[in-house]
Amino acid sequence: MWGRQILLILIGLSGGVSVAAGLFSFIVELGVVSDFADRTHTADRIMLYEDSTALGGVLGNLFYLFQISLPFGKVLIPVFGILSGIFTGCWAMALAENLNVFPVFIRRLKILRYTAAFVIAMAAGRGIGGLIFFSQRW
Amino acid sequence: MSEDKEILYMKGDRNVEVTHRDVTLGDIMSFECSHRRILTGVKAIPIVHMPENGPKRCVISVLKIISCIHEMYPELEIQNLGETDLIVTYENQQTPGKVVHLIKTAAVSMITFTGAAFSIMTFNNDVSVTKLFSQIYEVIMGHPGDGFTVLEVSYSVGITIGILVFFNHFGKKRFSADPTPLEVQMRLYENDIQATLVENASRKGEELDVGQTDSVDIDRP
Repeated sequence: MWGRQILLILIGLSGGVSVAAGLFSFIVELGVVSDFADRTHTADRIMLYEDSTALGGVLGNLFYLFQISLPFGKVLIPVFGILSGIFTGCWAMALAENLNVFPVFIRRLKILRYTAAFVIAMAAGRGIGGLIFFSQRW
Repeated sequence: MSEDKEILYMKGDRNVEVTHRDVTLGDIMSFECSHRRILTGVKAIPIVHMPENGPKRCVISVLKIISCIHEMYPELEIQNLGETDLIVTYENQQTPGKVVHLIKTAAVSMITFTGAAFSIMTFNNDVSVTKLFSQIYEVIMGHPGDGFTVLEVSYSVGITIGILVFFNHFGKKRFSADPTPLEVQMRLYENDIQATLVENASRKGEELDVGQTDSVDIDRP
């Protein structure tokens, strides 16, 4: 009995450690958080940003696994929606940036001007796509 | 002048911030010369004037700096030990108020907090952690769990350990002397920005360089 419990603990612990390492290096190496710090000129606070990322990961996981219910849902839900939306949007674009989507397209199609239009089109496309996705209850 | 045999050593960082508009060589680089008088003379050479309404940033080639020095000390031998292109940024002292800074910091902390929470949940959802855990539990214990077992608890502990080890600190307490991953990432980002500034300036021919006859650049778009 105890042996099995210990086996479960081992699986859980090592699973958690490797998931955390993988997911968080993915977030950090894509440069999402350093982008935020640079845009807002608050690079002196990156230790705080790391703390909040770490806390978010820990609490988000607890929240997911144990289905903890929080008070003030009506206020918290739109706040959570907009903040996680900003984060995911930046993440998606950082992914595109790291995979050199823009340079490749701009070079292949020999686009020299109006690159800003692509950025706006892409942002609008993502926003509308998200709306359609949710409005169709997919 | 007796500068015949003198050697001037100079070293500059790639990114310099100045706080006044008339930039002298002493503002942007450090120099060493065994001849004191040359040293002070070189440091006082004006290199660029930041216009009142113009761009607040310029890129200076080290060749331009050497030619400026040679104008005054033609015989001086110059050894550059630092960067070959310097980005000089004029930063007037008006930093935004503390409140603005605090608001920005709070906003970024909230976004990163929620974003991290969101991504761990999407990850768990994506790979069906809950289902997988109940399957593992049943295989090992022989009977289904109730969703709140030692497996979930230890997974949460594991996540916490993994994150703390990865970021290498919590709050002000560091677990080792290494820089944290975000600090490394921040430096990489700055290096990219600086390299881009230098390349942009030289492609557009805006770099302050000697002989503006710009060599042909095949890579030019």
